[in-house]
Amino acid sequence: MSITPSQWAALLPLLLPALGACLIPLMALDRDQAGAKWIRGAMYLTALLAVAAGFWYLTDLWMTGAQPSFEQLHMDRLAQFAGIFVLVAAAMTILQSWDHFHQEGWVKGETLSLLLFSVTGMMLFTATSNFLVLFLGLELFSLPLYALVATVRNRAEGSEGGMKYFLTGAVASSCFLMGGVLLYGMGGSLDLTVAASAIRAQGLGSDPMVLAGAALLLLGFLFKVSAVPFHQWTPDAYESSPHPIAGFMSVATKGVAFIALLRIFPVSLAAMGAAGIRMQAALAFLAVLTLVVGNLSALVQTNVKRMLAYSSISHAGYLMLGFVAGTPAAYTGVLFYLVIYLAMNMGAFGLLTAFGLVGDRTTFEDLRGLGWKRPAMGFCAAVFMLSLAGIPPMGGFYGKYMIFKELVGTGHVGLAILGVLASLVSVYYYLHVLVALFLQAPSAEAERLASDRPAVHAPLAGATVLVAAVIVLAGGFVQAFLVDGFAHRAIVEGLGLLR
Amino acid sequence: MTWLNSHPLTFLVFAPALLGLLLMALPQSVAKLTRLLGLLAALAVFVLSLAWLLGRPPEAGTFLTEHAPWFTLVGLPVDYALAVDGLNLWLVILTTFLVPLTMLGTWNSLKDRMGTFAALFLLLETGMLGALVAQDLFLFYLFWEAMLIPMYFMIGVWGGDERRYAANKFFLYTLSGSLLWLVALLYLAGKAGSFAPAVMAQAATALPFAVQCWLFIAFAVAFAIKVPLFPLHTWLPDAHVQAPTAGSVILAGVLLKLGGYGFIRFAIPMFPQAAMHYAKPLALLSVIAIIYGALVAMVQRDIKKLVAYSSVSHMGFVMLGLASMTVIGTQGAILQMLNHGISTGALFLLVGMLYDRAHTRMIADFGGVAVKMPIFTTFFLIVTLSSIGLPLTNGFVGEFWILNGTFLSGFGWGRAYAIIATLGVVLGAVYMLWMVKRVFWGPENKDEDSGTQHLHTDLNAREIAVMLPIVVLILWMGIHPKTFVAASEAPVTALLKDVGAPAIRPLTLPDAPAGPAAEATPEGPAPASHEVHP
Repeated sequence: MSITPSQWAALLPLLLPALGACLIPLMALDRDQAGAKWIRGAMYLTALLAVAAGFWYLTDLWMTGAQPSFEQLHMDRLAQFAGIFVLVAAAMTILQSWDHFHQEGWVKGETLSLLLFSVTGMMLFTATSNFLVLFLGLELFSLPLYALVATVRNRAEGSEGGMKYFLTGAVASSCFLMGGVLLYGMGGSLDLTVAASAIRAQGLGSDPMVLAGAALLLLGFLFKVSAVPFHQWTPDAYESSPHPIAGFMSVATKGVAFIALLRIFPVSLAAMGAAGIRMQAALAFLAVLTLVVGNLSALVQTNVKRMLAYSSISHAGYLMLGFVAGTPAAYTGVLFYLVIYLAMNMGAFGLLTAFGLVGDRTTFEDLRGLGWKRPAMGFCAAVFMLSLAGIPPMGGFYGKYMIFKELVGTGHVGLAILGVLASLVSVYYYLHVLVALFLQAPSAEAERLASDRPAVHAPLAGATVLVAAVIVLAGGFVQAFLVDGFAHRAIVEGLGLLR
Repeated sequence: MTWLNSHPLTFLVFAPALLGLLLMALPQSVAKLTRLLGLLAALAVFVLSLAWLLGRPPEAGTFLTEHAPWFTLVGLPVDYALAVDGLNLWLVILTTFLVPLTMLGTWNSLKDRMGTFAALFLLLETGMLGALVAQDLFLFYLFWEAMLIPMYFMIGVWGGDERRYAANKFFLYTLSGSLLWLVALLYLAGKAGSFAPAVMAQAATALPFAVQCWLFIAFAVAFAIKVPLFPLHTWLPDAHVQAPTAGSVILAGVLLKLGGYGFIRFAIPMFPQAAMHYAKPLALLSVIAIIYGALVAMVQRDIKKLVAYSSVSHMGFVMLGLASMTVIGTQGAILQMLNHGISTGALFLLVGMLYDRAHTRMIADFGGVAVKMPIFTTFFLIVTLSSIGLPLTNGFVGEFWILNGTFLSGFGWGRAYAIIATLGVVLGAVYMLWMVKRVFWGPENKDEDSGTQHLHTDLNAREIAVMLPIVVLILWMGIHPKTFVAASEAPVTALLKDVGAPAIRPLTLPDAPAGPAAEATPEGPAPASHEVHP
């Protein structure tokens, strides 16, 4: 079989990170990898180059407007959007992990290799509506992440979190597989859109098999976005993984699962007659549950990473509300929200690295007074927290604004009121971070300990934090440009909605 | 310069924030220089606002205006619409006036991070000015919320012992109202397809009356929290007492005004029928706020807390004037907002000056301060008299117009409420004068640890320079209030015509000797009507 240039164009964005992922282990073969600085540098440089090449290629593709495809792999606007999204998150993660793993004293090449494999899987996952390819992508990005959570092997909690994540994730993946099999059996096609229309045409919408299939498939997605009640893994996994990996999981896993759901849900899961209506109702119900449980649990956390984990659960709730509204404008809002969410969360986790908080030293106590000691980082922290809380003029406000506007417009006023109340609750725990950073002086004990430690040196993490803050602020002031230029085009030209 | 000529309001609104951000980037080691730059910036904004707003005659009732499409999201266009007209002219000037004055008045109050404080102050000024001049509800909402951020840090970082609690309470309380209001806003904007108040008001009239009422309630609650109207006032004492002096002054001087302004600018004109429908409950809550605020103020032991509760009482008058739906009552409310900004702002400044010297604010710690600080006592007494509404001071005119408007309003409850509210004026005199008596008069408190024994210096030249303009304004507004309400008369009249408020019921005295009702308002309606309708 010969591959045409256009097909290569669709494949290349996936091949570039995969190539990087294959090259890095070769360098890591050196037994001295942790000791020789130039090997570590070369590995990180390779990873960055692979990501940058993919990014450069995808932006180029975006500019030309081409939407190449290879068999079941459709590198359309939405997939390109997802690719750029994941690559930006990966680049930030790589930069932050250079600093973080040096602080931890555990710099290994396999981390980068796993990360790049995961990136490849994520791009595959968002670029298809074929069930088998979808499952391939899901596993390709999930399996490396299980390992990444436990990558720092000298920390016992790491293995614990990784094992928890792996066991629950494996169950979710098998549910996803089962759901797909049932839908394939009933609809007669591996392409979920075709299967859905066949099911609709035959009036099989209320068949228990279809219902079970659709529900199981949805469960697979909801597990990845950590919606309640499939969220229990999230706080444990985030807490035990290295900060940059936690940031990457919170952003990229959730992001690609939502983008893939964007491709599948409106045309397939929600379009299966009676079963589709139930799926929409289930999604609305779980969105409410996610908002309530996520926000209330976040209130009582004493560890910043666990708080951020519950916060990321609650953000899944807002994004699910966008699906409940179900208009193209709401989907655009979801994509815009994800872009800002990428910056907010990568920034928030990056701050932990930039402040040099290693291991378990991630409680609110450890943050006390740091905002005044590192004013630039403190300023960025204020931007991230206020944006996560949805306070204007930060970008996070506009994401919520678009979703709530569409909710109200489609008659879901009650859900919108619940949404704003949930975000009111969230303000409290985001302010908690700012209280610790600015309003509390460090305790004398902490001061004494801090003076014993070497000065924190995390220039790369600091740089990613600054970039993330700029993105969040850009989302607040030139929001229309970002929405029209990226999110809207991805929805219109990628999904073919509104045409 | 051409850009400046066509965008004076943009410059006025955003120059403080840009300078504030620049100042924030300066290192702590030059904090004193930063503080000076902040003051100069605020002064420049004040001078420019005077020159641009009062220096040229208004065109069709509008002093300055800017309008441009900003962006369109989810099918809703948002306009960058700013304007200064009769309704907000003096509030804008009050804001630009109070900011530099407060900076100067609290020059040495803060010991650390004063540069950052000055920067936040300028950011806050942008939020306040933006909310005052925004003519698009989305834009208004942005400024309204953004304003909370600098205030949160001002209370939380530089406040008293309970500052974290007070700051969080302030932030969450205010936000709770505005988030629900946002849903109402989105609902109505979706119906209207625009955030322009006129278009949204048009769309509102097409909705069922019950929906209009819900929308009005959502608007009213958001604004009432800011005012704050009883029973939504509970954040205010905490925030006021814990905030540093400068924060209290701006909170009382400008932030509370935005609530009242929101009613005049948006809630009442957009939902006239619903506003009429809820005039009585609003008036009732206002009357409760007046009496309750005064009674609670009376029993306070902390001077600052006393002033904070007096704010509840005074802002109750503002809301009563608005609820009366009469021209004179609304004009009185607008004037009372300015009065309260000046008088209560000044009271907080004076309390701050006392605290800086004595490090206590407890009334019991003082006594005989008049002997130690005669100049300070003079100023404090003038401001107190203005606060309790002595004729010839600003407080009298505002409260009188409000009571007059309420008494004359066509509503059945008008007279009874006016009479009860008048009691609030009496109570106001009681708590203020009683406090003055205990703090300033009487024998000198000889206790070693008392506040009086820590008062070594009277006001210095800087503090006198801060207080003098306030005294001038207090007298000016008391003697010639027309300066400050002339601009708002036409818009207020037009607004109330749209609302369709019942015509005023002039009081015709029976031939018999004056009854108790006439005694309750001994001044009679006539002179004030002349002032408002020249």
